[in-house]
Amino acid sequence: MGWFRGRVLALEGLNMEVHRGEVFGLLGPNGSGKSTAMKMILGLLRPTRGRAEVCGYRAGTIAARRQIGFLPENPYFPNFLNGAELVRYYGRLSGMGGRLLEKRIQELLEMVRLGGEAGKRPLRTYSKGMLQRAGLAGAMVGDPEILMLDEPTAGVDPAGSREIRDLILELRQRGKTVIFSSHLLEQVEDVADRVIILHRGQKLREGRLDDLLTRKKEWEVNVQGLKEEDRKELRGWLEKRGVQVVREGAPRERLEDYFLRSLPEEKRR
Amino acid sequence: MAGGLACGILLLWGGVKITWEKAMTQSQRKATYGFTGPTAVAIREKLGQGLALAALGGFRGLAANALMLQAHGAWEEQQWVRVRSSLELATLLQPRAAVFWDTASWHLAWNAAVAAERYSGEPSETRRRLEARRWVEAGRSLLERGTKAVPERALLFQRLGDLYWQRLEDYQAAADCYRQAIAKGDAPPYLERFVGYALDKAGDKNGALAYFRELRAQMGTPPNPERRPEVVDREILKLEKELSGQAAPKKK
Amino acid sequence: MMGSLRRIGAVAGNTFLEAVRQRVFAVLLVFGLILISGANYFTDFSFQEQFKFLKDLGYAAISLTGLLVGLLGATQLIPGEIERRTILTALCRPLRRWEFIVGKYLGLSILLAVMIGVMAVAVAGVLGWKEAQLIAREGSDPAVAASIRAEARDPRLIQAVILLEVKLAVVGAIAVFFSTVATSTTFVMAMTLMVYLIGHLQSVAREQWLESGEVVSWGTKFFLAGVAFLIPDFNLYNLIDEIVAGNAVAWRSTLEVVGYSGVYVAVLLAAASVVFEGRDI
Repeated sequence: MGWFRGRVLALEGLNMEVHRGEVFGLLGPNGSGKSTAMKMILGLLRPTRGRAEVCGYRAGTIAARRQIGFLPENPYFPNFLNGAELVRYYGRLSGMGGRLLEKRIQELLEMVRLGGEAGKRPLRTYSKGMLQRAGLAGAMVGDPEILMLDEPTAGVDPAGSREIRDLILELRQRGKTVIFSSHLLEQVEDVADRVIILHRGQKLREGRLDDLLTRKKEWEVNVQGLKEEDRKELRGWLEKRGVQVVREGAPRERLEDYFLRSLPEEKRR
Repeated sequence: MAGGLACGILLLWGGVKITWEKAMTQSQRKATYGFTGPTAVAIREKLGQGLALAALGGFRGLAANALMLQAHGAWEEQQWVRVRSSLELATLLQPRAAVFWDTASWHLAWNAAVAAERYSGEPSETRRRLEARRWVEAGRSLLERGTKAVPERALLFQRLGDLYWQRLEDYQAAADCYRQAIAKGDAPPYLERFVGYALDKAGDKNGALAYFRELRAQMGTPPNPERRPEVVDREILKLEKELSGQAAPKKK
Repeated sequence: MMGSLRRIGAVAGNTFLEAVRQRVFAVLLVFGLILISGANYFTDFSFQEQFKFLKDLGYAAISLTGLLVGLLGATQLIPGEIERRTILTALCRPLRRWEFIVGKYLGLSILLAVMIGVMAVAVAGVLGWKEAQLIAREGSDPAVAASIRAEARDPRLIQAVILLEVKLAVVGAIAVFFSTVATSTTFVMAMTLMVYLIGHLQSVAREQWLESGEVVSWGTKFFLAGVAFLIPDFNLYNLIDEIVAGNAVAWRSTLEVVGYSGVYVAVLLAAASVVFEGRDI
C-alpha cells in the first residue's frame, strides 16, 4: 500500500476452484475483493498466505500466465495504438510472431467485429464497447485456456453487454474456461454456471447458479389465455390441495429485454 | 527482501566502481596533462548560482562561453578588472581550452596594457607605464599557467613567445618559447624561422646563424617549399655578411 | 532466449512507437532553432572561438534536450504505466518482469540514440555552414582556410557524440531504477536530477573520502562514502569538453568510459528488476 500507508486486508480465507470449460462468476459489491482475487491468480499481487494454481502451474509463473487471457476493468490500453496494433503487441508479448500472428489478428478482429477500417482507427477514438471488444481480442490472441474478464460489461450499453455475453457463451462452447467478475447481478445470471459471492474480502456463498437460485419448494408455470373467472377457480383448486400460492400476476419482462426488443433490428447488434 | 537484494547489488557494485573510477580519473588526467583542474567546490565558491549550476550540471562549456561573452562586453566598455575576472573564471572552468588562455592573454597584455599607457586620466607617464607593465605581467603569468594546463599544444607557447617579443622585448625568452612551440609538432611552419629572428634581435648573431644553418640542413633535398628555404638562405647570407663586417643587403 | 529477445523487442518497439506518436521529436525543432540562432553569435570573435562556441552550444543543447527527454521518458516508463493502468495488460502476459524493464529501457535508449544522432548531424550541418561563411570571409590564406576546415570537420566529434549517448544512457537507467522504487513521477524526476547534479561532484567526494584520513568527522566520512559508493562519477564524461575544446582524446579513454557506462546500466537494470519483481501492481 505504500511506505507510509496502513495495510488493508483485501481478501481472507478464500478457497475456490474453477472447473475446466465452465463460466465462473466472481460476484460482489465494489471493494469486495474480486479484482484482488483476479490479480493474485495472475501474479500481479502476491498473497500473504496461501497459494493458487492455474492448470497445475503455480499462479504468477510464466507457464500459468500462458494459460490466461486477461481483460481488466475499464479498458486501459496504450491509446496511441490502433486496434490491430494492440492485438499485435499482445500477441508478441505472448511469444507469437510472423504470419501466424497476422492471421490470428484478422480472425480475432473479425470475431469481435473490429475488422476492416475499425481495426485501423486509434484506440483513443473507440467507444467503451469497442475498447472492450479490442481488449477481448487482445486477451484471446495467445489462444489461452482461460479468459479472465474483470467487469466486462461495466459502462457498456445493453446491446454491447448482450454481445459480450454472447461471446462468453461462444467461448464456453469452444471449451474455454471463463472467469469473470461483475457487480451487475442480472447480467451474471444469463451466463454463469457457477458463482462465488464475496463481501468485504470474505466468501459468503459458492455453488451452481441453478442450485443457489432455485426455490426448490416452489413451482412456476406461465400460462396464456387464462380467463379471470378461471383464475379464481385455479386458486381455489390449489388451496384445496394445501398448496400455498406465493405469488400470482402477470410476469414482468426484464427491462433489458424490453429495451432490446424496442430497438430496430439492425441496432440490436 | 527484494529491496535488500537490490541494495546489496548497488553496494557491491559501489565498491567495485570506486576503484574503477579512480583508475579512470587518473588515466584521463595522465592522458590529458592538465585534467587536475580546480575542484568543483572551488568553482562553486567563485561563481554565481546560475553559472555554478550550469557548470556542475556538466555544462561547463556554456558557462565558460558566457563568461567570454561577458569579458567581451567588458572590453568594449574598457572595464579591465571585469575583463580579467571573467577571463580568469573562464580558464578556471575550462582550463583545457587553449583559445581561452590565448584570448585572455591578448586582452591583458595587449589591450589592457595599451589602454593603461594611453589613459588620459593619469598625467604621470611613469605611472602609466608601470600600470601597463602590470597588465603585461598579468598576461604573461596567465599564459605561463596556460602552457601548464595545455602543455601538448604549440599555440600558447607561441603566444608566450609573441608576448616576450612584442610586450617585454625579451627576445631570448621569445626564442626559447618558440623552440618549445616547435617541439610540440603542431606549430605553423613559419615559426621555426622566428627562433632565428628572435636570436638575431637579442643580439646573438652567432647563435642565429648557427640556428639557420642547422634549420637549412634539416630541410633536406629537395626542401619542402612551405618551409621557405629561400628565406632561410637569405637570412644565412645576411648574417654571414653582418658577422664578416660587410653591410647586409636590405630585406625587401 | 529467442523468446525473451522477441518479448523485449516487442516492449522496446512499443515504447519507441509511443514516443514517436506523442511527437517527442517535435522538440528537435526547438533544438534546431537554438542552434541556428546561436550560429550568428560571437561573430566578432576569432574563428577558433566561433567554432568553440558553436560546438559548446550544440553539445550542451544536445545534452540538455537528451536529459529532458530521458527524464520525462523514463518517468513515463513505469510510474506512468502504473498510473494509466496499462501495465496490467502487459504484465499479465507470459512476460517476465525483468524483460519488461529491459524492453522499456531499450525503447527509451533507442529513442535517445536516434534523437542524439539527428541533433549531432544538425550540429555538423551548422558547423559546415559556419565553415562556408568563414572561408568566404577569411579563407583567402590557404593556411587559415585549412585551419577553418579542420575546426569544422573534426572527426573526434564522433567520440563526443558517443560519450553523450552513454552518459544519457546511465541517466536513463538511474531514472528507471527510481521508477521501480517510487510511485510518483515527480519524485522520480527529482531524484534522478539530484543524482545527475551530485554525480558531477562525486569525484570530489570520492577523493575527499579516500584521502582525507583523520581530518574529517565520522559523519562527513559516512556521507562522502555514501556519495562515492552510490552515485556515478559524471566527471568521467568531461572528455566531451576536451574534444569540443579541440584537444585529442584517445579512443581508449572513450571506450573505457563506454565500458563503465555499460556495466553501470546493467547493474542498475538488474537492481530495478529485483525491486520490480517483488512489487505488487
